[in-house]
Amino acid sequence: MVKLKKNGRITSSALFSAAPILGLILLAAVFLLIAQIKDVNISYSLKNILNQSIITMVVATGAIYIYTLGAFDISLGASMCVSVLVGAMAYNRTGSLIVMLAVCVGCAVCISLISSVLASVFNLPVFVTTIAMLSLLNALVLVLIKVNGTGDVIQVPADAVRDINTPWFKLLVLILFTALCVLTFNYMKLGRQEKFLGGNPLCAELTGLSAKKLSIIGFAMAGLGVGLGAFLTITYAPTLSRNTAASVGMDVIIAIVFGGMPISGGARSKIWSAIIGSLSMTLLSQIMLMLNMNSGVSQMVKAVIFIAVVYVSMLSSKKNILPR
Amino acid sequence: MMKTLKKLFLLQLSVLMAVCLTACSGGKSGGSTEDPSAKTVKIGVLVSDTTSAEALAFRTYYKDYIQSVYNVEFMYSDELKDAAAEQSAIDNFIANNCQAIISFASADRPAQIEKCEAEGVYYAVATGTLPADQYEKYKSYEHYVGAIGPDLPTEYQAGYDMAKHYLDAGYTKFGLFTGASVYFTEMHIYRAAGMLAAMCDAGGGSYAGKTGMDIVGQIMADGGNVNPGKIGNIEINGVVAGYDFDDAWFGKLAAVANDPNVEVLMAVGSGQTAFAGFKPEGKKLGDIDCYTKESVELMESGTLDYLAGKFSASIGPAFAATLSAVYGKPIRDKDGNALALAQGYWVATSAEDAKKYYEVDSSTTNPAYTKDMLDTLIGASYDDFAKFVSAYSFEEIKK
Repeated sequence: MVKLKKNGRITSSALFSAAPILGLILLAAVFLLIAQIKDVNISYSLKNILNQSIITMVVATGAIYIYTLGAFDISLGASMCVSVLVGAMAYNRTGSLIVMLAVCVGCAVCISLISSVLASVFNLPVFVTTIAMLSLLNALVLVLIKVNGTGDVIQVPADAVRDINTPWFKLLVLILFTALCVLTFNYMKLGRQEKFLGGNPLCAELTGLSAKKLSIIGFAMAGLGVGLGAFLTITYAPTLSRNTAASVGMDVIIAIVFGGMPISGGARSKIWSAIIGSLSMTLLSQIMLMLNMNSGVSQMVKAVIFIAVVYVSMLSSKKNILPR
Repeated sequence: MMKTLKKLFLLQLSVLMAVCLTACSGGKSGGSTEDPSAKTVKIGVLVSDTTSAEALAFRTYYKDYIQSVYNVEFMYSDELKDAAAEQSAIDNFIANNCQAIISFASADRPAQIEKCEAEGVYYAVATGTLPADQYEKYKSYEHYVGAIGPDLPTEYQAGYDMAKHYLDAGYTKFGLFTGASVYFTEMHIYRAAGMLAAMCDAGGGSYAGKTGMDIVGQIMADGGNVNPGKIGNIEINGVVAGYDFDDAWFGKLAAVANDPNVEVLMAVGSGQTAFAGFKPEGKKLGDIDCYTKESVELMESGTLDYLAGKFSASIGPAFAATLSAVYGKPIRDKDGNALALAQGYWVATSAEDAKKYYEVDSSTTNPAYTKDMLDTLIGASYDDFAKFVSAYSFEEIKK
């Protein structure tokens, strides 16, 4: 992970790189300290933190592939909502959790691929196509709910998912997906090519890399994360509405930035940013809850910290080789 | 510089380890015989709305009044938009050792109740009641305290009474705002159905072939929409629904408010937000909402002339029942079932009434339900509790 020492000394750039982990440790310390003072049930809290951050972790880990390219997808939440609803409808038709999982993942990957293929075909910035997809998917959510004909919600029987709504199952999904991402991102050509393309697209193309191909693969990985997140969402709260996963898109962006991922993507992209950022964000929320802060105040605190993190991240990138 | 940072890093790790050790070794001592009211009771409050006047009034009553006179601490959730958010909020409350949860959120009530029962946390619905099938299922749950508030027949009646008020005065041309009916919010659907039923009774016709409570099913079948048209000699000349808050939505509201074929504007909620800004002089406006400074001003200026409003202290009995359960004195009927009690609205048809209601309703020192009144409910019998709740009119409360 982060190497702090060079010739036996800690370098400032290494410290900047380690800042997200140090931030996470600091937040954990503050959390435990306040939890102790406020007589909080720590074991339940830790389980709760895991429960609340795991879906963001999974989706954000997949989304790292998009952000590494210097691209930006604001339709992740809507994509997840559609996948959740279609997956739930598939379960209600078949009664099979395996089918539900396959439909969630298939649907999310298809939506992701449509975004990237549209961007490639029309030669548009990915961001633009995801805006169009956001509108389209939001409309599709309303259509799906209406077609299902069960009021304003689609429900999967709670008993059907109770057995897999456990921290261990969620952890297993996270570990398997993260292992796949770490393997492809850190130890295979794909990750290096994605970073290269994100850091310097022109140079990458001149070297013979196919931007379209890498973009499609990146979006497919993000879609896989969204699909798994959709499946976990159904297991956690099987009553689904048009508001399901509404905050996921924003949570993913915040988590990735909190985790130290450069918003411009490129060589300094790290797969662990998603996990570190998601945990940090959830810890921060828990701290503010323990302090019984008004939700408006806590939103402002989060906003200030978000800006501070981006500022520090930009400070550190000025000295690097591939500014964008 | 680097040395200092290195030291800071090591110090941070040391603090974390120390805190971890302290946290893990922390054992609690406590006696079971102590007075339950001596220890602060933490109560979580689930809310799906944090900005409306009604939500703010409820919050003020709990945080500014109840919390100051009882040894309790309220923890409020963020604005909950879906079932997953509700589950997370309940987890947060349990982690923070809340002994009870009072819910104003309804994305998935059964899941909330099941979760609280499984975790041994008392749970109450503060406004509204459970549908009959859900009540049958959960009424015997040990930690389900019950539901107190306007039930669906009360909502229907509130709509009916408002429409009847104008129909009796001879008005026949209406414009409606049906709020969250298109999101299948039952409360708003029942209020709208009540209005249409009153028109059927007065106009001698039917709404899409339906009358009375059957109109509820028709609205549901139409996707929560109410369609303009004629009911006998009564005309519905414009309907707006939803809470889009965009230009098109405001445009539709303005068009209905200014339609020369509309004499009376009626809203199932938020009528002051929806219609008051566009309504020309001479037209009537009725709303079902709550008492605020703005609504009193609107009634004084003649903009609003009928208001059926929840009063903020109406959530007091739900609190008292919850606290009673936490103190080990749950309020149950003779069969051991949880509370299911309906409460109605305060109706103002004049500025004087509205002003009088608002003065009591907004007081944080002498609200409609004071500590002395609520104290009588802690450990009360089901019948006494029900009698207290059923006497909800302003005159009965302030007698």
